[in-house]
Amino acid sequence: MKKFDFLLITLTVFAVGCQKQNDSRIHVREGVASDTLGSNIVTRPVTHAFSALIGEGIEVTRAVTRRNDAGFLELYVNGYNRSYDTKRFRYRVEWLDADGILIETKTSVWLPFSAMGKSPFTIKAVAPRTHAVDFRMDTRKWE
Amino acid sequence: MKTKILYVTAAICFFAAGCAQETTMIDTMHDEGKPVMALDYRDFDMAASKMVQSMLASGALKKQDGGRYVVATGRIVNDTTQRIDTDQLMAKIETEILNSGQAVMTSAIGSGSDELLHETRELRDSEEFDQGSVAQRQTLIAPELTISGKIFQRNIRYDRNTQQVEYYFQLKLSDVKSGLRFWQDETLIGKRGSSRSVSW
Repeated sequence: MKKFDFLLITLTVFAVGCQKQNDSRIHVREGVASDTLGSNIVTRPVTHAFSALIGEGIEVTRAVTRRNDAGFLELYVNGYNRSYDTKRFRYRVEWLDADGILIETKTSVWLPFSAMGKSPFTIKAVAPRTHAVDFRMDTRKWE
Repeated sequence: MKTKILYVTAAICFFAAGCAQETTMIDTMHDEGKPVMALDYRDFDMAASKMVQSMLASGALKKQDGGRYVVATGRIVNDTTQRIDTDQLMAKIETEILNSGQAVMTSAIGSGSDELLHETRELRDSEEFDQGSVAQRQTLIAPELTISGKIFQRNIRYDRNTQQVEYYFQLKLSDVKSGLRFWQDETLIGKRGSSRSVSW
């Protein structure tokens, strides 16, 4: 009987491992896409528990800045939520001038954000002054 | 006996004093207080921040000839069950528009108007004032853009014990001459909580 269980799990692991990858620009979620190790009914509890055990969370992959037509610096923070759970957090972007001095603004407040599990996300922020040249960003847990 | 009563009274007073709710200052920079069903300063900060960023990113305030637009604040309708001073929201937005360097706000007209601007013009015939220091006719600058908007609320029964309150902040920026709308946006703040707690 134990042999049968082992065989079933092995087959499931191999079967889901053979899935064809989608175009990376299109995110097909669990329940819509074919099963993966994380979504399969047999392997899901193990993978989710492992993900939680190693503390998977938000990963920032790239931060891009550009100046828009109106002359304001725009920030795009691209990231990926490695966890299987939706991560809710707050972020705050502060803007710095050419001398590295903080620009006082009422737009630099803690804003809520939510990234679904195993999904990419983008945070956009706009500097409120044209003389902003750099930024710093902070995050904290969403109570 | 009397000593015992005194001890008990003293002990009760001591513990009662220890239970009193202490007044604390709110750390507005990193407030970790629980959300409330009504709108609080954090909601206004968030709405104002999102609106300002959206407006600046749209480029609607950038004048083609390089000058600065004159903007007047119109009516902000409060269609919620709460007594909201809409200036609380608009003051933040007006400050950021001014500080952006792309527009100036006018105090001559609109909901942000200053009565003294008109009162001081009534001094034109007064012999008490140096007429050279009194504002002359046709010196006020008319607004080119106006900001107006609405804050409204929807209460939804989520389940038997929970209610959902949705607050919508809507703002629009219109050109006075043409009547065309250059920018508009909406920010939603949703709260879910006990149906026993009131949102006003």
